[in-house]
Amino acid sequence: MAETFQNLLLGFSVALQPSILVYAFVGCLIGTLVGMMPGLGPLAGISLLLPATFGLNPIIAIVLLAGVYYGAMYGGSTTSILLRIPGEAASVMTCVDGYAMTQRGRAGPALAIAAIGSFVAGTLGVIGLMLLAPTLAEFALRFGPPEYTALLLMGLFILAYMSGGSMLKTLAMAALGLMLGMIGIDVMSGYTRFSLGIVELGDGVGIVPVAVGLFGVSEILLAAGATAALPVQRPKLRELIPSREEFRLSAGPIARGSLLGFMIGIIPGSAHIISSFVSYGIERRLSKHPERFGQGAIEGVAGPESANNAAATGAFVPMMALGIPTSPVTAVMIAAIMVHGILPGPMLIQQQPELFWGFVASMYVGNVVLLILNLPMVGLFVNLLRIPYAYLYPCILCFCILGTYSVSNSLVDVWILLVMGGLGYVLRKLGYDLAPVALGLVLAPMLELSLRQSLAMSAGDYGIFLDRPIATTMLALGVVLFLFALKPLVFKGKDWRDQVGLEKQ
Amino acid sequence: MNETDRGQTRGGLRSDQFSGLMLLALALYVGWENRAYPLGSLQEPGPGYMPLLLVIFLGAMGLLIALWGIKSAPLASMKWTEATRAVVILVACAVATFALERIGYRITMIALLIFFLGALERKRPLPVALVSVGFSFASFYVIGDLLHVPLPRSPWGF
Repeated sequence: MAETFQNLLLGFSVALQPSILVYAFVGCLIGTLVGMMPGLGPLAGISLLLPATFGLNPIIAIVLLAGVYYGAMYGGSTTSILLRIPGEAASVMTCVDGYAMTQRGRAGPALAIAAIGSFVAGTLGVIGLMLLAPTLAEFALRFGPPEYTALLLMGLFILAYMSGGSMLKTLAMAALGLMLGMIGIDVMSGYTRFSLGIVELGDGVGIVPVAVGLFGVSEILLAAGATAALPVQRPKLRELIPSREEFRLSAGPIARGSLLGFMIGIIPGSAHIISSFVSYGIERRLSKHPERFGQGAIEGVAGPESANNAAATGAFVPMMALGIPTSPVTAVMIAAIMVHGILPGPMLIQQQPELFWGFVASMYVGNVVLLILNLPMVGLFVNLLRIPYAYLYPCILCFCILGTYSVSNSLVDVWILLVMGGLGYVLRKLGYDLAPVALGLVLAPMLELSLRQSLAMSAGDYGIFLDRPIATTMLALGVVLFLFALKPLVFKGKDWRDQVGLEKQ
Repeated sequence: MNETDRGQTRGGLRSDQFSGLMLLALALYVGWENRAYPLGSLQEPGPGYMPLLLVIFLGAMGLLIALWGIKSAPLASMKWTEATRAVVILVACAVATFALERIGYRITMIALLIFFLGALERKRPLPVALVSVGFSFASFYVIGDLLHVPLPRSPWGF
């Protein structure tokens, strides 16, 4: 514990440097704005900002991008509460009771509880990250190729189990992402695969055009035709203070949402989205008056908002400790660190303590910055929502093209962006979750390399995964969850989503 | 009887059946293309080994989605009201991509924004001109000049 505090002090000595503070503030500010804008979620925001971080030092780059990520989690709640428009997917549940509170003239307390819940969850999440990541990284030093293969497969099975939609569709999308990851030069044999004769594809398909296309462009295509600007409430500072009763009702949901969100955040998938849905379901189930939910229950704002912020922090645990992204956002962030020649993984915390602990400390600072930004200045931010969507979406599209082109000055990337935008639009219309595509794309090279190395180690014997206890445990867990997920398909019955009350959303 | 009911009675293709079959077709296509790469052996898997596993998995998932998709919404009943506009937006972006390195970033973005705001959204000329010129110059200044990201210029140096 003493060592942890010493390391944290080292982190604060880095995070409190004026340049880092400025970038943490800028990241939080951009994140808040990005989170508020429909069609520009944290992933698109981070992807678009990625080229701008190439010239920065790695600590500043990751502090800036992390600020955008959790800033977007905060910002997304504002549009949900005031306009019933989720700025990003994780805020969908906040719309239900947040907007109902706005209609009853309680927008201020809803915004305040969302911000306070996010602050508490973010801070608890950072403590969890601080305590868990180094331990996990130490444990992961025992991992060889079979363990990594098992870990990645387990991640994909958990992703399927936790997905909000059809398990089959989630697995199909993960396979599609993994197949996209096969494009380019095979590092073990030197063969260029599926490049269609396009030289640029030799390096593979980048995460940025795929992520921005699937999440940014497709969102704009789906919303094509929506032009009217909505009337916006601007709550004053004194109207933000919740009543004693509202504080009392929110305390439990904030605590439960923080814990639940952090735990869900560690596992793969769209954790921040799932966590907010699960938290809402649990709060409704635990409530003595579940009929209040949907009518403006403050617990329906406090729980999901805390959960999605804690999940955003939890997602950094496997990213930092294992070098494995559990969400498209952390995948882009890994790409941002790798540009600087740093490989996230078990050795990162030992070899780059300033980066890891500086990052942790900057998150404490970022949470305070966000609380300041999101409470007194909320009236200022909502002005952004007055911009008619007809003016907003062309600019966002231009940003998407600009951001994608800037990553490697390649028009091929922009073509990929447009293809992914069109594909994402069709897939979303057909009810497919797109996060597994982005995740599969990033995991593909790791999975292929570790699988082929494992088979080479065992002279082609798949039994190697059963001979090694860690790999066996992870595979068994993955298979059990996979079978659990299959159960509702084979036998008619309720699955966990119904159990937590999501079926009516 | 409305269109949805007719679709259900006719028992036409369902949305999940359609998407599942599309995934199966994609898997078959990639499997066909994968013939070009050696599979290797179990001891030494070649570059075609992992794609083959994925093709089999994707094909199986596509088939299962199609089989289980019998109760999904009929494809004909799906509403694609925004599709025309979405296609126009994508085509405009494609033209802009084609033009980007030929006529430069600023002219391309001005033209693209004028098309979106003026032709598609039918906004008044003054705001259209202000937003399109303002956005392209401001973004070029921030990304190109301040952050030193090389953005394409036109043959006339603009």
